[in-house]
Amino acid sequence: MKCDEYDVVIVGSGIAGSVMAKTLTRAGKKVLLLEAGLQAGIAMDKEGAYQNYQFYLDTYYKAAAKVPNSPYPNLPDAPSPDVLDIAPIPNSCSPSTKGYLVQAGPIPFASDCYRGPGGTTLHWLGSTPRMLPNDFQMQTKYGVAVDWPFTYYDLMPYYEMAENEIGIAGDVKEQIGPDVEPVKNYGKDYVFPMQKIPQSYLDQTIIEITNGKTVTVELNKKEYTISYVATPQGRNSIPEPAYKYAGVAWNKKTQKLELEKTDAEYDPVGSLWDPYTGQRCEGNSSCVPICPVQAKYNALKTLRTADHDNLDIITQAVASQVLYDKGSMDITGIEYKKYRYGNSPIYEKGIAKGKIYVLAASAIENAKLLLASGIANSSDQVGRNLMDHMVMLTWGLLPKKGFPYRGPGSTTNIPTFRDGDFRKEHAAWISPIDNWGWAWPTFAPGSDVSNAVGQGMFGKQLRDHLSDIIPRQLLLHFECEQLPEPGNRVTIDPRYKDQLGNYRPVIHYNASEYMQRSFEAAKKVSDQLYKAYNVQDFTSYSAQNPDHVQYKGKVYNFAGAGHIVGTHRMGSDSNSSVVNPDQRTWDHGNLYLVGCGNMPTLGTSNPTLTMTALTYKAAEAILKQLEN
Amino acid sequence: MNTNNHATFLTISAYLTGFSETDLLGTGMVDPYYAAIRDNNDPEVLGYFYQEAATILADSHGDEAEINEAIAARLIPDSCYNGIAKTIILLWYTGNYGNDVLSTDSYKEALVWNVAGAHPPGAKQPGYGSWALPPFSV
Ligand SMILES: Cc1cc2nc3c(=O)[nH]c(=O)nc-3n(C[C@H](O)[C@H](O)[C@H](O)COP(=O)(O)OP(=O)(O)OC[C@H]3O[C@@H](n4cnc5c(N)ncnc54)[C@H](O)[C@@H]3O)c2cc1C
Ligand code: SF4
Repeated sequence: MKCDEYDVVIVGSGIAGSVMAKTLTRAGKKVLLLEAGLQAGIAMDKEGAYQNYQFYLDTYYKAAAKVPNSPYPNLPDAPSPDVLDIAPIPNSCSPSTKGYLVQAGPIPFASDCYRGPGGTTLHWLGSTPRMLPNDFQMQTKYGVAVDWPFTYYDLMPYYEMAENEIGIAGDVKEQIGPDVEPVKNYGKDYVFPMQKIPQSYLDQTIIEITNGKTVTVELNKKEYTISYVATPQGRNSIPEPAYKYAGVAWNKKTQKLELEKTDAEYDPVGSLWDPYTGQRCEGNSSCVPICPVQAKYNALKTLRTADHDNLDIITQAVASQVLYDKGSMDITGIEYKKYRYGNSPIYEKGIAKGKIYVLAASAIENAKLLLASGIANSSDQVGRNLMDHMVMLTWGLLPKKGFPYRGPGSTTNIPTFRDGDFRKEHAAWISPIDNWGWAWPTFAPGSDVSNAVGQGMFGKQLRDHLSDIIPRQLLLHFECEQLPEPGNRVTIDPRYKDQLGNYRPVIHYNASEYMQRSFEAAKKVSDQLYKAYNVQDFTSYSAQNPDHVQYKGKVYNFAGAGHIVGTHRMGSDSNSSVVNPDQRTWDHGNLYLVGCGNMPTLGTSNPTLTMTALTYKAAEAILKQLEN
Repeated sequence: MNTNNHATFLTISAYLTGFSETDLLGTGMVDPYYAAIRDNNDPEVLGYFYQEAATILADSHGDEAEINEAIAARLIPDSCYNGIAKTIILLWYTGNYGNDVLSTDSYKEALVWNVAGAHPPGAKQPGYGSWALPPFSV
């Protein structure tokens, strides 16, 4: 299809861009998608998709540090942030410039994302709890942060669309915790497309470790009962017979997106190269960074099912500037640099033209692109309110073997501190139980081997030692909800550009006292849990780790969750937000932003499901705008 | 290939790792690991290492306790043979030579996953729902 002017130009083929492209093309709109990453990564034919993915997998096997971006190409022409680049920041005048992100601090931002076809869902974990109704009203309920411009219940139909597209496995009836009741939060009779992913043997070991006695912990003189929830997730399991939705479609008459009903059983979406591969999670235990069989959802699955007769894709095309008419303020085109090879500085410039433009390049990149173009920023909010879950980890040895390092990264979470009055004072958190032992904080089990061998162990003694400690490893996350703060932000600086002359994002980031108090509180809870579980605590925090805070004399470390949120916030008035509730920029009538950057607050859930729901809402608004 | 050294490599590997020779042969990694040790070490030092290992094996006539004692005293200390014994253990358990993954096969055959009752992440997947049960090998 090559045309001079498309209905819509989209930047980015992550889940936000792919959901947008699929929804619009299936509604008959002509779409052009610009993607910064390599052509090979977007292959939709079986052979090409398979070969490319096997290349990723091999790269992963051979990577010394198996971090989220380890399987994927990191290109000088479209670099990705990488957790391996996190380094101490001497002072704000000399930021850390080790990686793509320029880290101005005072502490380094701890998350990465992937800039390439399919985006960050290639290495996401796939946990998909919904936000809580109270998360949408943080100002009203707790006097902190801001309210969303609509309620949880307004977003419910779009949540259902997102759960259909990602393909969620879970049990609605088991969703409990503060501010969650199945009927209130999900509606009567609602079910997920697939049955829940079995909870791990490790989860069961913990749940049963107190012999049926409920565990209670005390925090700020209040008692809390610990509960456990099987986490809904975007990976394939057994189809749920009661699920009766086929997919999302545009209803011209009602001018709404709707979930179409069907009598057919839900068919789990397999890999790109073979529909029968990946129809079930096979327990590869490597979802981050790569699911070998693609049982885990990734955005290329969505992109593949777009209407390709209505879709053109230009890869190796890095959007560098959004052009606009100074009179009407309308966007007139997106300038991109198409490079020849990922590491050559040679490129050709192009301008993509459409009636409507959608930036879906991820929170940091969207903000950077807006700043570089000098647009959408009458509120002065572009780039601000950068958020992530600050993940405090605690680890120890169980009294008996739970056999971690098996199954999806996490199958159960403790929802007890997701909501409560304490949110006036400190952050709420969710606590996934990690199925992969101490891998994250200590690089176990490799480090267990080298420690033991370093101590002189060998032979049967070594084998017995390792088979005693590795299967007893427990790791808990305390994923603390960061609030929007204007000083945590993305900026640009002409001193810092990449090889193509595009700006590199400059990140200013800190942990407020609100967050520090939550680390203190979470550690208190962790201590009580370990006591109740009879777990020997091996947690150790260090000021040598660049991501540390010292609060009341104690050092805490945190990791990033990859939940990069909030850099172009949505709101109900143009003075304090970048986009309106339809996710259209207040300043430009034909520019929409999608992705986690729109989220006014983060909640305690992993953000992608909520963001995908929002993307459907934006797609609906775009279709309406195009047709009126 | 020096067949004596090769045989010594296999037998001493079994004592160093705590896995039987059959287990080690079953990984298919004996040859590549033997080669990696050969290619990455000073031949003279390596020669002395094999000589010492062979002597230990011969002198103790299969008495396990005696062999272990000799290994602890004469092969394991860092002062002995540039730490080759430890390198061999780490190679078998992690598939890594130093910081590098030797090959995709070595990654998949690392013994640590076996002692963990698990499998190498991203390979040898045990199937849907397997993680909800105790490991097969237990
Ligand atoms: C380790 C890890 C684990 C995670 N686990 C979870 C989880 O369990 N649950 C959850 O909800 N979320 C999780 N996340 C977060 C989740 O991955 C992201 O929220 C989500 O993938 C973001 O999607 P996106 O489409 O907005 O952006 P991305 O997926 O980042 O896609 C952006 C796209 O834009 C392209 N692009 C970027 N710049 C340009 C440019 N200038 N020109 C053209 N194209 C460009 C990129 O190549 C890419 O295709 C995780 C993240 C990480 C890092
Ligand atoms: S556990 Fe394995 S098969 Fe299942 S989603 Fe993760 S990587 Fe894929």
